[in-house]
Amino acid sequence: MVLNERSKFLIYSGFLLLVFSALVIRFAYVQLIQGEEYQEASDRNRVREIVIDPPRGLIYDRFGRLLVNNQPAYSVYVVPAELKNRPEVVELLASTLRLTPAEINARIKRNSLSPVQPVKIERQISFEALSFIKEHTLDLPGVFCGVESRREYPTMIRAPHLFGYLGEITESELSGSKSAGYRQGDLVGKKGIEKRYEEFLQGKKGFRYAQVDALGREVGELAEFPSKPPVPGRNLYLSLDASLQEAIEIAMTGRRGGAAVLNCKNGEVLALVSEPSYDPALFAKPISNAAWSELINNPAHPLYDRMVQSLYAPGSTYKLVLALAGLQTGLIDPRERVFCPGYFKFGRRTFKCHRKGGHGSVDLSRAIEASCDVYFYRMGLKVGLENWSAYSRKFGFGQRSNIDLIGENAGLVPDEDYFDQRYGKNRWTKGQLVNLSIGQGDLLVTPLQMACLAMAIANNGHTFHPRLSYLIENPVTDEKMHDPPDSLKIEGINVEHYERVKQAMVLAVSGPFGTAHSAIVRGVTTAGKTGTAQNPHGDDHAWFIGYAPYEDPQVAWCVFVENGGHGGAAAAPIARLIVSLLLSQKKLIVPTSSGAAD
Amino acid sequence: MLIRSETDFRQLDKSILFAMVLLVGIGLLAIYSAISAYNTPAALKSNFAKQFIWFVIGIGIMSTVMLLPMKYFHKHAYFFYGISLLLLVAVLFVGGGKGVHRWFQFGALKFQPSEVAKIATILTFSRFISSEGCDLRNYRHMAIAVAIVFVPGALIFKQPDLGTALVIFALVPPMMFWAGLSPFIIFVMISPVLTFISSFNYYTFLIAILLICAVLYFTRRPVRTVIFVLTLNVMAGAFTPVIWNRLHDYQRTRVLTFVGLQEDPQGTGYQVNQSKVAIGSGGFFGKGWQEGSQTQLRFLPEQHTDFVFSVVGEEFGFFGVMVVLGLFFMLLIRALQIAAQTKSKFSSLVVIGCVTTIAFHVVINTGMTVGIAPVTGIPLPFLSYGGSALWTNMVLVGLILNVGMRRFEYL
Repeated sequence: MVLNERSKFLIYSGFLLLVFSALVIRFAYVQLIQGEEYQEASDRNRVREIVIDPPRGLIYDRFGRLLVNNQPAYSVYVVPAELKNRPEVVELLASTLRLTPAEINARIKRNSLSPVQPVKIERQISFEALSFIKEHTLDLPGVFCGVESRREYPTMIRAPHLFGYLGEITESELSGSKSAGYRQGDLVGKKGIEKRYEEFLQGKKGFRYAQVDALGREVGELAEFPSKPPVPGRNLYLSLDASLQEAIEIAMTGRRGGAAVLNCKNGEVLALVSEPSYDPALFAKPISNAAWSELINNPAHPLYDRMVQSLYAPGSTYKLVLALAGLQTGLIDPRERVFCPGYFKFGRRTFKCHRKGGHGSVDLSRAIEASCDVYFYRMGLKVGLENWSAYSRKFGFGQRSNIDLIGENAGLVPDEDYFDQRYGKNRWTKGQLVNLSIGQGDLLVTPLQMACLAMAIANNGHTFHPRLSYLIENPVTDEKMHDPPDSLKIEGINVEHYERVKQAMVLAVSGPFGTAHSAIVRGVTTAGKTGTAQNPHGDDHAWFIGYAPYEDPQVAWCVFVENGGHGGAAAAPIARLIVSLLLSQKKLIVPTSSGAAD
Repeated sequence: MLIRSETDFRQLDKSILFAMVLLVGIGLLAIYSAISAYNTPAALKSNFAKQFIWFVIGIGIMSTVMLLPMKYFHKHAYFFYGISLLLLVAVLFVGGGKGVHRWFQFGALKFQPSEVAKIATILTFSRFISSEGCDLRNYRHMAIAVAIVFVPGALIFKQPDLGTALVIFALVPPMMFWAGLSPFIIFVMISPVLTFISSFNYYTFLIAILLICAVLYFTRRPVRTVIFVLTLNVMAGAFTPVIWNRLHDYQRTRVLTFVGLQEDPQGTGYQVNQSKVAIGSGGFFGKGWQEGSQTQLRFLPEQHTDFVFSVVGEEFGFFGVMVVLGLFFMLLIRALQIAAQTKSKFSSLVVIGCVTTIAFHVVINTGMTVGIAPVTGIPLPFLSYGGSALWTNMVLVGLILNVGMRRFEYL
């Protein structure tokens, strides 16, 4: 077969036509049919979404005094792709931030999502580091600083347990169900109010869209992608009275313990002090190892919130529960007199009264006023463990008070099952009950629960779940959200029983045999009950619970001083401070008939 | 050495010249756009200016090639060939490059002997198979002809420069076809290559063998031939692993990525993917000159050299792609017409060699940018940045135009 020139030309050009047609078809497919897909891919390439963090909600006290504020702070970001193969840049950055190059590389590796996505290397850098980085932009390609806000505490109030603090979101928090809207490196509430009201305080992220090049560098804004401004977090008004909180904190300085002050009318928390504490600003920036180990190794445990997390025996303050249980069940006759020789023999054991010489012949009122132990030893045995446990539970012991804080402890109300389990069936005696009668033994309560008890008695059984949040305010719309605390009614205790106990509580403060004379405030009738709880860790814990004014209860409190000694001496003066401060600021309205305190 | 000859400038093929100048112009636009993304304006100017100056010098070289009589090329073909073989051997020992030996460095200038070898091989191969007494049906002559191409091809492969080696090997079938070798023999020559490529996968291998059997059946070849061809192909398939093992890692990666057996999003896969994104997002009319986000934001490496066509695709769209491919097609078809009309067998074969070289570059390069050809580092003629490749291609066009002006002359 010999081909002439013309057929060879036709064959070769035909072959070329075929190949070129294939190319044209391929290009038509890629550019015309798949064009839109590739357009999107190209947009994804060049458009970077930049998160604008919303300002976190501020925290105020009930009178609008700013307690927790935001302050600008600077963080350092790097673009991993640009630092690759540039050890000198990493080294310079490391020396600026006082880190090692290995640490920087480790942080990049840990937080990097893609080589072109900036990674936060260090937050809250010093002003010196910030100005160095700004001045040396040319020596530090791929390194830049971003603004972020950090918490600031403008008042003298410390209250770290209450405010809590922010921390970087953890892996598990990110994968949790509430993780919507969060990203790696975000700050979230870790403790206290910051954690409890995270969903309101956090706000909504905004987004800005920038055009980036292949190395992830921003080269301009994109008109066709409008940015979304962030929505600021909701402001939170606490029911706290800042001046009261501050005064108690100052009074408690150097001691261990605290105070919980509640508004009797609605369960709002007016003050919640736990000492020793620490400066909440410590956690506003990354805490140093030294400061952290000092906090966790401090024998006084400043990280612990003594008001809601720690458990103690309530001592004599708990006699009020036994009194009410006995009155309601009819097992205590308030007129019945008991002779107190200063001790009580039960079986082979002798239980002492706190007053060596004894109180002589006492009835219920006098027993509360003078805090006679012997009277209550006897009454405890009369009322019995079953009733005692049941009435303890009625007053919310052994259960969380449901305050809006994280990590509250429920405490422990022993009953027969508990003792059977703990000591074995029939291996424990009624001696346990004798101890429980005066708030000792295995009974464990939080100081906040005791404040709730005071509130419940003051209100004749009307009580509330204590609440710190007072108002949630949307700073954009000014819309305010007020959710009053849940109101509860302790059923099955008659008003006359409350009245009887309350009268005795007034005597405990101002009666001739009263144990809490140091709580007397001229012009207000104060009701209260002291407690001096023995404990295996040293001196007695001092308790004082009460409310004022007697005629129209407005505040209820529990003051607690760890190893403070006698309740009347160590705790009651703090209550006097509370009442006199509120009175002087005209926050207590005293009924005209009052003032018979002395 | 300039010999005055009967040059007939009225016969100068203006459409080829027009196509070439336009392609270089489009190339300069695309290079400007791609480089402007990379460099400071000063460097940009110097790079853009360089390409322009190379083009101007190229016109001088091309004119010289056009004015020399074909007799001159015929006479010195073997000499050029010898020189280029020496250079190819020398570059293996003293050549530079990133772990490879592809070029000689003279100060700032790089010289790639493989560029010269392309031209020398076309001339020598043309001279040998057009010589009196050469009969490709004679096995000895056939062996010599194949060797002429195989030796420089193998040396270039050794550099290693798989792309250029393939360009050289690709000369054989079309030129032999043009020299009058029966298409069946060419089929026999090409079939082992197809088998080789297809044998990465059992199914494609089976299809290739079946196709070969079909051709053998329908052309009614003698049993002896059938057995020979089939043995050849099965052996080619069997040798695939052997040759495979001799390939460099990056070559294997390229082959595997191309065949779709390996994902390589950071390497060549990344390049091809970004190139497809660039071209695909160009749509019909493109994003406009210097408006291509893929190009301007440097998502694609080597965009002013091997991937310059993706700039065209992104910024000038399908329309730009059609224009460039159309210009190439016009240039090639006009060149084929010249080859068909040329009285001198040598000149005619030289044109076919030039056409084949340019066509191979165009098809492999543009196909690569949309993922239908392997990434082998073959630049796009006239458009890609780079002086020596531009000159080589202008010499090829010079040869085509030269033959065109003398197509009615006998050598």
